[in-house]
Amino acid sequence: MSKRLADGLFTALYIGLIAGAALFLLIPVVVSLILSFDARSFIGPFPPKDFSLRWYREFFNDSYYHAGLMTSLYIATVATLVSTVTGALAAIALDRLQFRGRDILQALFLSPLIIPSVIIGFSVLIFAARLGIIDGMPRLLMGHILITFPYVLRATLATLKGIKPSYYEAALSLGATPAQALWHVILPLARTGILAGAIFAFIISFDEVGVSLFLSDSFSYTLPVALLAQMHANLNLTVAAVSVLFILVTMVLIWILDRVAGLDKVVGTGVYGR
Amino acid sequence: MAVLDLQNTGKAFGAVWAVEDVSFTVAKGEIVALLGPSGCGKTTTLRLIAGFETPDRGRIFMNGADVALKRPYERNIGLVFQDYALFPHMTVAENIAFGMKHRGVKRSEIPARTAEVLERVKLPGLENRRPSQLSGGQQQRVALARALVTQPDVMLLDEPLSNLDAKLRHHLRLELRQILAGAGCTSIIVTHDQSEAMSLADRIILMNAGRIEQIDTPAGLYARPRTRFSADFIGQANWFDGVMHGGRVASKAGAIAVPAASGGFGEGAPVSVCVRPERITVLAGGHDAAPYATCIAGRLEAVEHLGSDLSLWVRIATGELVQAVVKNAGAAPPDPGSGVTLAFGPEDCILLPAKDTSA
Repeated sequence: MSKRLADGLFTALYIGLIAGAALFLLIPVVVSLILSFDARSFIGPFPPKDFSLRWYREFFNDSYYHAGLMTSLYIATVATLVSTVTGALAAIALDRLQFRGRDILQALFLSPLIIPSVIIGFSVLIFAARLGIIDGMPRLLMGHILITFPYVLRATLATLKGIKPSYYEAALSLGATPAQALWHVILPLARTGILAGAIFAFIISFDEVGVSLFLSDSFSYTLPVALLAQMHANLNLTVAAVSVLFILVTMVLIWILDRVAGLDKVVGTGVYGR
Repeated sequence: MAVLDLQNTGKAFGAVWAVEDVSFTVAKGEIVALLGPSGCGKTTTLRLIAGFETPDRGRIFMNGADVALKRPYERNIGLVFQDYALFPHMTVAENIAFGMKHRGVKRSEIPARTAEVLERVKLPGLENRRPSQLSGGQQQRVALARALVTQPDVMLLDEPLSNLDAKLRHHLRLELRQILAGAGCTSIIVTHDQSEAMSLADRIILMNAGRIEQIDTPAGLYARPRTRFSADFIGQANWFDGVMHGGRVASKAGAIAVPAASGGFGEGAPVSVCVRPERITVLAGGHDAAPYATCIAGRLEAVEHLGSDLSLWVRIATGELVQAVVKNAGAAPPDPGSGVTLAFGPEDCILLPAKDTSA
């Protein structure tokens, strides 16, 4: 077999693999997008013949979904605010200070990224109960702050690593105290990283299911939890409509994120960096 | 009174003394260069003066007050960083105003002083530019202006010209000296570039392995190095090792006439003779060397064109290569391979203790 032929075969295989993966990811999304406009009152064979906005109307008229959406927005907003302030401060401390156990502390802060959400959800539930917190709302907030915090921390840390230490020292040499140097020089330079972390934190919180399942109760539940419950109770195509809305919101946020900071800041650039 | 006075200052990182024992004073308005190879402790010394490091031994006085334990913002210093460290999110004017704001200059005075300092560094009217819109040379001057404008007691410059290309570097060298001298600024310039130190500084503090090797004026350091390290680091040096014998040095290359005044070495004492390349005259082989006290025969191995100078590499009988530098005045150099005579007088020799005895 000639080299040229082998090269051609390899390229075809490579493209085929990528196309396959893309289709695998996209087809369910496209199907639910189309189904969400289905005019039939039951889930019939695909593709639908008539289209309407009935499932979207259903969603907006349903107080159950409405409460879930409001809770999700509230939780995502508050969790993002808290995570952004604490995450950015923690990142600055981890970046600037040299102390024993620094690496261990950083690993601990980032650990919610790798701990299964089932375990986080269950732990927060037990912990909250021990503290005498039995309401769903504060519990959900606790859980969501915990899972969004590492995203802000990581995005801010990545930005801080790129800030030359001489900026901080220059500020000190010009008469600024460490606090003034952080406020006037380091924070403005880390702004994009912090903002990227905040947007990502919002997306994570808004889309989160696992932890919320444990922490929701019948009065406080997030939209994804509401969706799941409805799927079990009476499966209809409102689920598809909500999915489409979810995808839209997430897409807009990801787009803003990419414009603001570049996606690679948050999700990393792989082994080789850039 | 000295503006800056370091007394037996030392700084260790772990078990390693980056700066072992450094003492020197800097007078008001003086420009001093801290010169040495990388890892000699010059940057650590600068960071000790700036307050980024705390000395593990010794004391640092600024205008008579012990500042060794003072934080950087409690010392009236100016610092020009190697990478300039201009704040990228601020304009030139905001960068320059930063130090004034934090050092308590009245808000109403800031615009006038900004304009004045930009005038001084020859960048008038650039107040509203961002650092990213400036060339390297302009950034360097803004960094200088930012440090100058607070009128620091001591101005510290860390390799201020090393990030510029060669041509600009030579041009800015003279200008930097004029700006510093014009502002009457007591300055310490850290550099590894001996020609930069020679041209910028009133005095050079030559450092080696965490200690001061020698402190002298640029001319003095070149003409009177006290150690082999000094002689080697500043300029080029040819070495002839031998022992004192009848007022001359008996070396493998032959007897070398040395200055009578360079006493201190008794009969039989091991010594090294340093001869600068430009002090050696190269004569055609077999030439009558009568006016020269020392003549060493050799063979011309290579001729290097350095533009204004020619560098002649001559292999002498001991097998060593000797470098001679002559002006490129138009006369053709001898052909490579031809026999030549290296000639110099006693006043061209610097006599130092032999290698093994000078640590």
